[in-house]
Amino acid sequence: MKAVILAAGEGKRLRPFTETMPKVMLPVANKPVLEYVFDSVKNCGIEEIIVVVGYKKEVIMEYFKDYKDIKISYVIQDKQLGTAHALQQAKNKINDTFIVLSGDNIIDQNSISNLINDKSEYSILIKEHSHQSKYGVVFIEKTILKEIVEKPKEELGKFISTGIYKLPYAVFNEIEELTSQGIYTLSSVIQSIIEKNKNINTIIADLWMDIVYPWDLISVNEIMINHFPSSTSGIIEKGVNIKGAVSIGKDTTIYSGCYIVGPVIIGSGCEIGPNACIFPSTTIGDNSVIRPFCEIRNSIIMNDCHISSNSHLSHSIVTKGNIIGNNFSSITGESTIDTEGEFKKLNNIGTMIGEDCTIGSNVIVEPGVIIGRRCKIDHLKRINKNIPSESKVM
Amino acid sequence: MCGIIGYNGFREAKNVLIDCLKRLDYRGYDSAGIGIIDDKLQVFKEVGEITHLEKEIPTIRGDIGIGHTRWATHGAVTKENAHPQISPNKKFAVIHNGIIENFKKIKEDLEKKGHTFTSQTDTEVIAHLIEDHYNGSLEEAVFETIKNIQGAYAIVVMCEDEPEKLIGARRESPLIVGVGDNENFIASDIPALLKYTNRVIYLDEGELCVVTKNSINIYDKNKKEIEKKKDIITWDYKDAEKSGFPHFMLKEIFDQPNTINQALRGRISEIDQTINFSEKIEKLLSNDIESINIVACGTSYYSGLVGKYVIEQTCRIPVIVELASEYRFFGTRNKSSLVIAITQSGETSDTLAALREANKSGCKTLAITNVIGSTATRITNGYILTQSGPEIGVAATKTFTSQIIVLLLAALKIASIKKTLSSNDIYYYILRLKELSRQIRLILDESNKIIKISEKIKDSNSIFFIGRGINFPLSLEGALKLKEISYIHAEGFAAGELKHGPFALLTKKTPVVAIVTKDSTYNKLLANIGEIKARGPQVIAIADENDSEIEKHADYVVRYPSNSTLLSCIPITVILQLLAYHVADLRNCPIDKPRNLAKSVTVE
Repeated sequence: MKAVILAAGEGKRLRPFTETMPKVMLPVANKPVLEYVFDSVKNCGIEEIIVVVGYKKEVIMEYFKDYKDIKISYVIQDKQLGTAHALQQAKNKINDTFIVLSGDNIIDQNSISNLINDKSEYSILIKEHSHQSKYGVVFIEKTILKEIVEKPKEELGKFISTGIYKLPYAVFNEIEELTSQGIYTLSSVIQSIIEKNKNINTIIADLWMDIVYPWDLISVNEIMINHFPSSTSGIIEKGVNIKGAVSIGKDTTIYSGCYIVGPVIIGSGCEIGPNACIFPSTTIGDNSVIRPFCEIRNSIIMNDCHISSNSHLSHSIVTKGNIIGNNFSSITGESTIDTEGEFKKLNNIGTMIGEDCTIGSNVIVEPGVIIGRRCKIDHLKRINKNIPSESKVM
Repeated sequence: MCGIIGYNGFREAKNVLIDCLKRLDYRGYDSAGIGIIDDKLQVFKEVGEITHLEKEIPTIRGDIGIGHTRWATHGAVTKENAHPQISPNKKFAVIHNGIIENFKKIKEDLEKKGHTFTSQTDTEVIAHLIEDHYNGSLEEAVFETIKNIQGAYAIVVMCEDEPEKLIGARRESPLIVGVGDNENFIASDIPALLKYTNRVIYLDEGELCVVTKNSINIYDKNKKEIEKKKDIITWDYKDAEKSGFPHFMLKEIFDQPNTINQALRGRISEIDQTINFSEKIEKLLSNDIESINIVACGTSYYSGLVGKYVIEQTCRIPVIVELASEYRFFGTRNKSSLVIAITQSGETSDTLAALREANKSGCKTLAITNVIGSTATRITNGYILTQSGPEIGVAATKTFTSQIIVLLLAALKIASIKKTLSSNDIYYYILRLKELSRQIRLILDESNKIIKISEKIKDSNSIFFIGRGINFPLSLEGALKLKEISYIHAEGFAAGELKHGPFALLTKKTPVVAIVTKDSTYNKLLANIGEIKARGPQVIAIADENDSEIEKHADYVVRYPSNSTLLSCIPITVILQLLAYHVADLRNCPIDKPRNLAKSVTVE
C-alpha cells in the first residue's frame, strides 16, 4: 500500500516560524513533525511515500535526501487550494487503496496499523479533542461516520477528524467531480461520499497532536521529548553534572561546570558552557553555542544559534540562526494574545523569536511576545509588543 | 573519465549494470555498453544516453558482466568505439578507463602478425593482447598484457571460458572493489556501488584483482598475493539522488549551509578560541613552513587562488598557486615549502602527478579532498577532508566552498602557530565562520531576485566578471561556472586589468558582473564600474548589504550579508553559482551534464 502525505501548506498561523519553512518542518525534539509521520508510516508495511509539496518545497526535499528504508517521491501542488486538490496531484502515482495523512500532525505507528488493517473500504482516524472550533467535528453511529462539520461555531460533539484516511482508488472520481465545482477540501469529499450511502468506518487514534500556534510547539515538545532515549557522545568535560534522560550529539562539547537536568536533547556540533544550566524539557539544535552562566528552561533552541553569557530563557522558542547578546532575559508569565480576533490567555509563556535575528546585550522581552524573522534589536531594549519581521529596534 | 562497472553475483547482471551505469554517467556519457556472459559472451553497445542502451538490450540472463560509459579520448563517438571491446575470437571482453600511450606501436605490431581491428580505440589492443597471451588462466594473461602497455589504465576483463571470474587492474586511473554478500563489484567510483554495498577496497598502483561471487584476491605487481583492508563508506546512496530538485547542481547549491557546517565540524572551538586538526596535520602545518605551493586543476585551482589571499593575509608567508599540469613539469620545488594539493575526487591525474613530483623532490605534501581513501590521501603526508558528501553535478559547487573553508581553517591554524594572528583575531574569525551557514541561507532565500537578473543576461553572447583582491579568483570561478553550464562565453578579470586589453571586447551587449566589497579597493572598483558604464554595458553588482552607494553606479544589485572581507567570499560564491545556474536553466542547457565535460578528470 502507498501513503500520500500532504505537506504543501504554509501554516500561516505559525508565522514567523513558517516564513522560511513549511509547517511540516517545524522541529519537535530536534526532528521535523513530518519525520514523525514518515517514521510511523514506514514501519507499517507501506512501500512508498508520496509527498505532496508546495510551499518552500526545497526545505523538505533537502532535509529528507538521506531518509532511509522507504521510497519517497514528490508531487507538486502549485497553488494551495485545499486538501482534496492536494491529494488529486498524487493521482498518477496511485493505482490501489491507499492512506492519506497530513504531514503536520504527529501520529503514532499503532494508529496507522489499525487504519491499514481495517476491513472497511473507507476508514478514518478520529480523536477526542476539547477545542473543536479549528477542526472538522465528526458525528458517528456505532463506529460508522455520519457527518463531518467543518470548524463549528459552538462546541458540538466529542470527536474531531484527524484528516487521516484509508481510501480506495475510486475516491478520485469523487474528488474530480467536486474540484470541478470549485470545492477543494477533503472533508467535503468525505461528506459527499457519506451522502451517497457509503460506509466510512471510524477508528480512534492513540496519539495525535497538532500544532496550531507558535506556543503549541513548547507543549508538544514537552511531551515528545520524553520519547527520546538518552545517549551521549561528544566531549563532556570534568565537572559536568548530568541528571535524567539527556541526549548529546556528536562533536558537541559540554564545558566544565555545566548542570543539565533531563529530559534534555542537545544536537551535534554545539558548545555549551562553561557553567551553563539547562533544565527540563529543553531541546537545543545543531551547531549552537550557549555561553557561560546561561539558564535555559523548558525551551526550544534550534540550529545555528548563539546565546551569549548570563542569558535567561524559559518557556521560549529561539528558531534557527539567532544571535543573542549578553544578559538576554525572557520574562515568563501570563499573557493574553490576540489571535484571529480571539483572545487567548496563556499562563506560562516566555518569548518566541523568528529566524536569523540579531539581538544586542541586555535586552528584556515580556511574556508572550513574538519577534519576527531577521529583526535587529539594539542593546538595552525592553520589548513589550510583537515585532514584525525584518524590523530594526533602535 | 569513463565510468567502469563489473558485477559478479546472484542478481541479473543486466539490471545491476544498467543501474550502476546510470549512477556513473556523470563521468562521461557519449556512449555506453555492457557485456554479459550467459553461456556465450554477449555485448551490447549504443551511442547516447544509458536509457537508450537500456531499451536496446533484449532479455538476457547471466549474473556476471561488465559495463562502461564512455567519454571519448581515442576514436570518434561510434558504436564500434564504445566499450566493451572484444578480442578477435570473441571470447574476451575488456572495459577501460585511461589512455594507452604506446597503443599505436602495439597495434602496428599486431597488424603485422595478421590481427585486424574493428575500432579506433586504444582499448581494443588490450583485448587482442589478452587473447594472444591466454593460456588457460585469465589472470596470467592480464598480467602479461599489462607488462606490454604503457600509460594510464583501469581495466576490467572477463572471458567466456572462465565465466566465474572478473579481473581488474589499474595504473594511475582509479579502480575500487565493492564487497557484497555473495556478490562483488569492481568500479571506477564509489557512487556507482552505494546502492548495493558500502564496503570497498581501493586498488593501488599496478595491482590486480580476481573477483568471483564470494572471493576477492588481490596481487601486487610482482604477482604476490596481498591482504588489503576494507574501507566503510559513510555516504548514503540517496546522497547521490536528486531528491526532488530539478538538477543535482541546484541540490548541491542548496546543500551548502549544511556542508559549510560539516567542513567546520569538530575543527573550531569558540569557547577555547582554537582551531583543531588531527595531530598529524597540526605537525605538518607547524613544520617551519616558509612558503606554500598550492597545486590543483579547474575549480580547485580557483579555490587555491582564494587560498593564496587568505594564507598570505593571515600568515604572512608567500603562496604560489600553480596549475597541477604545469607544476608537474615546470614548478619550482623548495624543500621548506609545503605543497597543498586540492582535488575533489582525490583522483585528478594531473594533480596526483604533481604530488608525486613534489614527494620526489622531498617536499612535505598535504591533500585537501572530498574522498576518503582516494589516491591523493594515500600518497601525501597528510590530508584534510572537506566532508561535503558526494558531488554529482559536473559543475563543482559545494566542494568549492568547502575547499575554501578548509584552506581558511588551515591558514588560521598556521597563523596561530606562527603567532601572526592573536588569539583575539582567531576568535573574531571563529565567530564570523559560524555566521556563514546563516548567511548562505539568506542568499538562497533571495534566489528569486537572482532569477530576475538572469533573465536580463541570458541572451548575451559574452559576459565579463570583475573583482579585485580575493574577488579576482571569484570572478574567474563565476565565469567558469557560467561558461561550463550555460555555454555563454564568459571571462573573469582583475578589475584593474580591464583597460589593459579586455576593454577592446566590451560592447553594449556585454554585461559585466562586478564583485564589490567594502575594502581598501572600494573606490577603485567604483571607478572601474564608471569606466565600464561609459561604454554602455549593463553592470550587475554583487555588493555588501550595507553599501548604500552602489545603487548609483550599477544597473542591478545583488546583496550579500556583511562579513569579514576574507569570509564574504563564501556568500559571494553562492550568488555566482545561482546566477550561473539560473542563466543555464533559462537557456534549457543540460546543467548536470554539460557537453564535452566529465566530473573527475582521470586522464592527463
